[in-house]
Amino acid sequence: MKTGIKALVLALLLFSNALARDYIIVQSTTSTANTGLLDVLSKNFLEETGIEVRAVAVGTGTAIANAKKGDGDVLMVHAKADEIKFVEEGYGVERFDLMYNDFVIVGPQDDPAGISKLNKIEDVMTVLSSDEYKFISRDDNSGTHKKELSLWKLANLSPEDNASYIKTGSGMANTINVASEMNAYVLTDRGTWISFANKKDLQILYEGDKALFNPYGLIAVNPKMFPHVEFEKANQFIEWLINGKGNKIIQNFKIDGQQLFFTYN
Amino acid sequence: MLNYNQVIESIFISLHVSLFSTLLSFITSIILGYWIAINSFRLKKIIVSVLGSLTSIPPVCAGLLVYLLISRSGPLGWMEILYTPTAMIIAQFVIILPIMITLIIQYVEVEYPPFREELISYGATKWDLIKLLLKNKSGVYFTILLIGFGRAISEYGAAAIVGGSIDHVTRNMTAMIALETAKGNILTGVILGLILISISLIISFMINFLKAKN
Repeated sequence: MKTGIKALVLALLLFSNALARDYIIVQSTTSTANTGLLDVLSKNFLEETGIEVRAVAVGTGTAIANAKKGDGDVLMVHAKADEIKFVEEGYGVERFDLMYNDFVIVGPQDDPAGISKLNKIEDVMTVLSSDEYKFISRDDNSGTHKKELSLWKLANLSPEDNASYIKTGSGMANTINVASEMNAYVLTDRGTWISFANKKDLQILYEGDKALFNPYGLIAVNPKMFPHVEFEKANQFIEWLINGKGNKIIQNFKIDGQQLFFTYN
Repeated sequence: MLNYNQVIESIFISLHVSLFSTLLSFITSIILGYWIAINSFRLKKIIVSVLGSLTSIPPVCAGLLVYLLISRSGPLGWMEILYTPTAMIIAQFVIILPIMITLIIQYVEVEYPPFREELISYGATKWDLIKLLLKNKSGVYFTILLIGFGRAISEYGAAAIVGGSIDHVTRNMTAMIALETAKGNILTGVILGLILISISLIISFMINFLKAKN
């Protein structure tokens, strides 16, 4: 009887998942998920097309790695250089521009480093690389982390070995919290910042520089490489986001009256 | 701020996944545990030691292990169970099985020998002894269930990796707490944590009530 029960249970377990794939898996980032945008998009797409969107929100680096293993139908991240490489290497079919916002540098209200008075990102990074001011880095291969590294590179700096350069190796929330506790500076995407409910003493001190531009890309995973992907449904989703109602939903997505993401049309 | 429906859904997902994994692990650990405890074989000491050490497997590692197995590019990828509650059940099963098995083995190794001595003289077979021990209705089974369930429902890392914390599908209570914390809604995270503990408390009371009735 025991083996009978075990077999039944196993069958139930498997069966509950064997019921076809009328859903697509989207590998995306924490910056889109934590704002609540992904949930809204998923809900609306399901209502309109009957296709369920299962969005996995991990760091950009992880999302790309997962997609490279075939664990996703769509990739929605913000690391343009890596996205282009993803397509070039054959994992993705084509990269589309989905939406954009920007990054901001956030720090203590009294701005001891005085970066709010500066005009060029190179100067800002140079000042922040000094041992006098602490800078908190996500250090987790995320889109934000990759942008941060590119900014240091832009200013020809490598603050890695500074005692004042602190790596949390974790998500935006934890990293912002550390910055807040240590009275330090941190780079964050505007979407996360606006929706973040634990700002404490921190505020935006530097913004608007074109180097802080934050574009999100959308790529369908290549069915030639992974025959099991739901390519048609993935393309439906992409089309809906760029030319369909999804586009409007992104534009109308606001928190505290502020629009978080901007679209190209 | 907090979606009432999402909270209810996450409670259901937590209960569904953790109750399933606890029961599966319980049945498996009784079958395997009894077998290992009663029989003597060459590798017994090593196996028991390994099982004991697996009780401290970092849940995140168990999650990664299961993920590698069920990922599309893994050996069980064709089953398409990644990012489903089934995957979470499996991950939790892997984590709590060593704990439950070790406890059963310990219990049987203590109870079985005196039992055996007493009853073998009456002509009882090994099977009879096993059946009697099981029917003994010892409170230890309830304790083992409780410990396993507690570990399963409070776990975050493994279930999140293989489940993906997907809204309506695999976002259980702990994943929801993590998400709210990531959004900066610290208070919400704490409230959800308290709800989780209350649920565990209710289950614990129920199990202890059943134990007392025996």
